[in-house]
Parts: sequence; C-alpha cells; structure tokens
Amino acid sequence: MVNQKKVVNLTLTCFLTLVAIFFLVRMAPGDPVERLLGPEATYEEIQNYRNDLGLNDTILIQFKTFFLNTLKGDLGKSLFKRKDVMTLLSKHFKPTLVIAFFTIIISSFCGITFGLISAVYKSRKPDHMLRLFSIFALSFPIFSLGPILVYIFSIKLQAFPVSEWGDGGFKHLFLPVMTLVIPLSSVLSRFTRNKFLEEMKAQWIEILKAKGLSTFSINLRVLKVCAPSLLNVIAIQLSVILAGTMVTETIFDIPGMGSLLLEAIQNRDYPIVQGVILYSTLIYMVIYFLTDYLAQKCDPRISN
Amino acid sequence: MKLKSLKLKKNGELLIGGGICSIFFLWSLGWFIYSTMINGSFKNPFVPKMDMKYELILPFQEKFFMGTDVYGRSLFEVISSGVSYSILISLTVSFFASVIGLIIGYFSVSGSNTVKKLFDFMTNFVFILPSLLLAILLMSFSGQSLLGLILVLVLTGWPSYAKLARGETKRIMGLCYLEGARAMGATRLRIMLKVIFPEILPVFVVNIILGLSGVIISEATLGFLGLGGSEYSWGVLLSMGKDVLLEGPHIVIISSMVLGLLIIGLNFFGDGLRDYLDPKS
Repeated sequence: MVNQKKVVNLTLTCFLTLVAIFFLVRMAPGDPVERLLGPEATYEEIQNYRNDLGLNDTILIQFKTFFLNTLKGDLGKSLFKRKDVMTLLSKHFKPTLVIAFFTIIISSFCGITFGLISAVYKSRKPDHMLRLFSIFALSFPIFSLGPILVYIFSIKLQAFPVSEWGDGGFKHLFLPVMTLVIPLSSVLSRFTRNKFLEEMKAQWIEILKAKGLSTFSINLRVLKVCAPSLLNVIAIQLSVILAGTMVTETIFDIPGMGSLLLEAIQNRDYPIVQGVILYSTLIYMVIYFLTDYLAQKCDPRISN
Repeated sequence: MKLKSLKLKKNGELLIGGGICSIFFLWSLGWFIYSTMINGSFKNPFVPKMDMKYELILPFQEKFFMGTDVYGRSLFEVISSGVSYSILISLTVSFFASVIGLIIGYFSVSGSNTVKKLFDFMTNFVFILPSLLLAILLMSFSGQSLLGLILVLVLTGWPSYAKLARGETKRIMGLCYLEGARAMGATRLRIMLKVIFPEILPVFVVNIILGLSGVIISEATLGFLGLGGSEYSWGVLLSMGKDVLLEGPHIVIISSMVLGLLIIGLNFFGDGLRDYLDPKS
C-alpha cells in the first residue's frame, strides 16, 4: 500500500535533518555554558560543567551518544531548565496542537467552501468579492495581521483579552486561530477555485452533462477529483503553520512549541532545539503519509 | 502594436500593479539618494534621528505627518529606510536565487547522469524542508549580519526556481526548433544561451516578481522574531509597534498598510505581466 521508496526517502530526510541540526547547533557561535554560569564563572568551573554535560568529548562521540539515546526515546535534559526535554515538549505541545488543529479544520472548511462558491459563480459578483477579499487577506502577513486583529478586537471592541493564554479556552484561542486562518483559507480558496475550473474543462464533464446529471451532482464529482491535490496543498500548508505558530505565539504570548524553540535558540539550549525539530519532522512525516494514504483512497489512479 | 496597446488597456491589474511598484521603486530610490548624497554620504548615510522629546506622537501632530515611534524617530523616515532596505534585500536575494536556480535546473535536465541525480536530489531535499523554519534556524546560528541574511534567504529560496527551470527546460528540449538548431550544428553552449534561456526568461521574470513579496515577508518575519539583519526591517518595526498598541496604534496600522500596499502591487504586477505575456490569453 505505502510506497517503499517513499519510506526510504523520508527516513533518509529525517536522518539528514537530525545530522544537520546536530552539527548546526554546535557550530554556531556562542557557548551555552558561559551563558548559563554568567560572566563571573572561572575557566575551571566552566570546564568542569562542560565535562559533566559531555560537551568536551569529540563531536563524533557526542553525536554517537545523542543518536543512540534518541533511538531509545531519550532526548536528554535541557541545559537551562533542568528538566527532561520530553517533559518540556509534552507540556508545550498542547497549545500548539490545539491552535494548529483548529486552524487546519476551519481554514480547510472555509477555504474549500469559498473556493467552490468562487468557481461556481465564476466572473459574477460572489466570485469578484471573494477574490478581492483573498487578495487583501494575503497582503497582510501574519505578523501584521495579528497586531491589527488585537487592536480591533481587544482594544477597540474589548471582545477578547489581550495576549494571554490563560486556560486556553475559546476566548484565548479565537484571535491566534483567526490570525492563521485568514491567510491560509485565502490560499486554499484561490487554489480550489483554479483547480476546480481546470477540472471542469475535462471531456468527461460533457458526458455527465449529456447524461442529464444536475449541476449539483456534477460539481460533487469534480470536487472528488480535486480532493487529492487539495489534500496535498493542505499538507504543504502545515509547514507554513509550523513557522506561523512561532510568530503567533510571540504575538499572543502562548507557551507553545514555537516559543519554546525560539527561547532555546537564543539560549543555545542544544537538547531542546534538537528535540523540537525532531518532533516536528516526525509529525510532518506522519501527516505526509496520512495525506498520501487519503489521496490514494480518493483517487485510486495515484497508487499505480 | 495596436493589438498590444489594446491588450494593455484591458489589463487593469498590470497597470495598477505597475503603478504601485513604480511608486515604491521611486520612493526607495529617492530615499536612497536623499540619505546618501543630499543629507549624508555613502560611508555615513543619514539615519532617522532619535529624540525622546518626540516619543510616540500620533500622526498629523507637530511636524510629523506619520507620527513618531518609540524612540522619537519620525515614522516616515523609518518606513522610508525600511522600504529601501527591503526592496534592496528582496532584489538581491531574488537575483542570486533565480540565477542559481536557473543553472541548477538547467543542468538537472541536460547534464550527465550523475549531475542530474545529484542536482535533483539537492533540489528536492531543500524544497521539502519547511523553508521559513530553516531560515529561522540558520539565521539564529549564523550571527545576524546583512550578508548572513542574504545568504540564508538565497539558500532557502533557490529550489522553487530550480524546479521551474527544470520543467521549462524539459518542455523546450522537446520543441522542434531546438532540433533544428542542433541539426545546424549549434554547440551546447549556444543552444543554452541563444535558445533555451531566452525562452525561459518571460516565465522567470514573472516568477521573480511574484517571489519578491515572498522574500520581503520572510525577511520581515525574521526581523519580527528578532533575527533580522537591520533595525529598519519591517518586522522590527511591527514587533515594536505591537508592544505599544495601546499608546501608539499608528505604528502598526501605518506600517502594515504600506507593507500591504507593496505586496498587493507586486502580486498585481506579476499576475498582470503573466496574462500580458501569455500567448494563450
């Protein structure tokens, strides 16, 4: 069912990412131990601490330990927070997951619906309005859309709290999710419209029309043909969301994976950076396989 | 000729987009000349002055028609620097990324077998990595210099051009007149420079223009996360603005508007140019 070549390719990508991250983090200027112990630390203190953490071993030995531990599921301890990376990850994972989940669901629904409306009413009023809206939505990137939404909804209308996560309820979720949904659904609706119109030109549509099918059932069949490529676009958008959550989490002060990664990067907290990247790559792979599987279900021609 | 001007009249997107783009281009050029020649020198260009006396003044008050920012700099001057900065960066990055993409894309079709496989693998490997995430990582570990920023953006930007060049080269390789050129004894270099590149060029220019807004957004995102190369990046300005949203909302509103207008202009211009150059429409 699942293509073997793809499995090999993805495993290789995952491994290369791991290697790249490992060496990139260590080649970077700035030493975590000096930062951790402060400017007053003596040379010996620093060296002792480095020995404890195993940072004085040659880089290949470090990589071997890291790789074997990772295979066992042990991602090491954070240098700064004195906690297991796994604990930190599972704590910070929930907000990001919740935001990403709602973003994907809402933007897929809105994007595909708007795209369909646009395509069905091609070159008429709804189409023009929706296209104009998507052009405007796409010209405000996440980092300018976020503050504008905060200004409108939190400061002017006082409908939602400003920049806090709280219990993660609807009130705190609304603005961050909206910030991501608006650009994503615009991308999706544009894509859906173009793909749908392209498929409508195919010859088999004429046959359906000649058979006397209603417009509604023809549209339904065309949508089914479009489904695999739509799934593909949604999967690609996930990587946008991954980077997008970093920005959203900074704007709205959300304790998620993005802010964890950003803080770890600034502190040169190697284990956390490796953990977050590995985690994201794995999730990315799972989603890739899932969309691949679903696409095959929708269109059996793909698997051949 | 008459047909062309008729087509141009009907193509509103191209006119609006071109208009907006030329205004921005003139603005950044004007600011560049002003800051390096009239009110400063190349080595010591004019920078917006900080003056805490004028902290966070709203637009149209005193002598600032766009107001001032947190450090009391005139927002107009800061945004002008930002416009020239981001246009300069995006042009440089797109130029290098597209040249690298063109070369790699071309040789992944017409090179020897090893070269083909290697270039294909390179393109696909960088392409499937989430580019913005990669840029964030590289940027934070490379030290935050202007050169580093340009390098990182080129490194994450070239695969899409390589994919485009690969597809186009493959298409052109199958055309009859290439066979003709080869039959007349044209060398490979001549075919590359005289047949294939001119044919790719229109599609490439459109994609470069459409890609410019992407580079501007990536650069500003890096700036927003505190990983940019300059303090006049749009991202830095917006991240400053979001902290003082209550006292000075004009920073976020004005700079978002200007940025939005530039992106709309670039997208309109690119789309319009594509319709204009496309022989099918």
